[in-house]
Amino acid sequence: MKKHPLMKLVLVIALGLIVLPMAVVLLWSVTRRWPWPLLLPESYTLRTVRELLTGSASLPKLLLSSIGLALTVAVLGTIIAMMTARATELHEFRGKTLVRHGAFLPLLVPGTVFAMGIQLTLIRLGLSDTIAGVILVHLIAAVPYCITIMTDMTAAVGNKLEQQAMVLGAAPARAFFEVTLPGLLPGVLSSMSMGFILSYSQYFSTLIIGGGRVKTMALVLVPYIQSGDRALASVYSVAFVASALLVFFVFEGLLHALQKRGDRI
Amino acid sequence: MKEKTAIILLLAPFGLLMAVVAAAVGNVLVQSVGYIPAFGLTKPTLDYYLQVFTRADFLSAVWVSLRIALFSSVLSCILGVLVSMALIRCGKTRGGILYAIRAPILVPHAVVAVFIIQLLSQNGLAARVGFALGLLEDSAQFPQLLYTPGYWGTILAYLWKEIPFVAYFVLAFMGSISATLGEAAENLGASALRSFWEITLPMSIPVIARAFLIIFIFAFGGYELPLLLGATAPKALSVQTYLAYTSPDLLQRPLAMAMNAVMLLLSSLLALIFGSLVFRLNRRMGGGK
Repeated sequence: MKKHPLMKLVLVIALGLIVLPMAVVLLWSVTRRWPWPLLLPESYTLRTVRELLTGSASLPKLLLSSIGLALTVAVLGTIIAMMTARATELHEFRGKTLVRHGAFLPLLVPGTVFAMGIQLTLIRLGLSDTIAGVILVHLIAAVPYCITIMTDMTAAVGNKLEQQAMVLGAAPARAFFEVTLPGLLPGVLSSMSMGFILSYSQYFSTLIIGGGRVKTMALVLVPYIQSGDRALASVYSVAFVASALLVFFVFEGLLHALQKRGDRI
Repeated sequence: MKEKTAIILLLAPFGLLMAVVAAAVGNVLVQSVGYIPAFGLTKPTLDYYLQVFTRADFLSAVWVSLRIALFSSVLSCILGVLVSMALIRCGKTRGGILYAIRAPILVPHAVVAVFIIQLLSQNGLAARVGFALGLLEDSAQFPQLLYTPGYWGTILAYLWKEIPFVAYFVLAFMGSISATLGEAAENLGASALRSFWEITLPMSIPVIARAFLIIFIFAFGGYELPLLLGATAPKALSVQTYLAYTSPDLLQRPLAMAMNAVMLLLSSLLALIFGSLVFRLNRRMGGGK
């Protein structure tokens, strides 16, 4: 296939537009003064970094609770998706197509509508202002995507090998965990990283269902943006994106390690 | 019989989540007709819907949200497909560059708002570059993209996040079409442009359409970006609705729910129209599923 110089230009522009704002936010995060019309800051400071590390919202605690919450959603969402996909892809039953299409329905309900609609129910169930309630509403946002990934994966892996293992005398649980699950792992990892990102970047649902008790990065960042403190908004943005990238690359790394091992066998 | 039990057990957690979604939708509908016993409201009425439709701020909010959703989704799809083709043509469908293209998918919306403020506000980097090049004499000459009723800042923020999303979402499918049928057309003498325009693009419409719908519904109901980058009036639908929802005046609650119901209706309607359009298009092209 011929390379087209115009196509190369498109890629260069796209990459530039992706990297530029990230570089600017990095610069802003250590800026003391950056008056108009200077192209670079006039003076730098580490006040923002100190505030990030020791300020009112303690970063380690904040990161731990945000990442912990998002990982919980990722794991639960992937397990639910794996079970749903197993039912629709490996079993025959009436209403199968209904389940397959139904999985997309939550995407048609805007997140704000869902959160305002469910709040009263969660208050009654005692789940409002709790981490369990927040996990539940984040799951609704994540599961449709996890199901899409796990459905494709389950259909591709099938259950022939698992059945062979059972014919050879393996217990069903052992056949699943030792034969099918390793085959599903690439899908499991991408479903988990999808679930993680969706939960990690939620704002509205955490605000309304968490009621201020459940603190996440998004919840801490937004007030800084509203107050117009660009340096502090930037330093929290950097921490937010860096931690998301870190977790994402851990998932990617695991995926690569798995694929390499798979190639060798 | 044993299989039936297995299926029920496997689907139980999914069913529970769907029940939660159904409960939320049910609550919205019930409260929107003014039935909220906790507030002493027990007489169902359609008054709130009538009120909603006669409010100028609500109607302009519907317009604002539709406009944001339409511009964001159409432009992201066009530009996303362009980036995807560029990746395919340059043979960069995996590895380093692809990670960079995927990065915006991982960046939370609130952070994108920070990006847009730093680059495109009237004293942002773009205006400074304009000044340095002698294009502007004063920061006030830079177009007001933020906090204005045009909602261009919000739309640009969605574009920053969603163009890469579309590029990544359609990449695998477009790549395989382009490598097989597109390549065949080119071997038979079609130009690269023609093989894209007449083979790869039409075949990829269903995937692009799915990306379009996801972005449209998301941008239509999105909250943070119009809140952080938009005007105080008119507000986006979700922002306007939440304002009514949190009002100390309890009679605003059913009003907020009527707004939510209209929002739900609009997004389902759009999805339905859109879904049937894609379905018909697919059938006309002789596509299997």
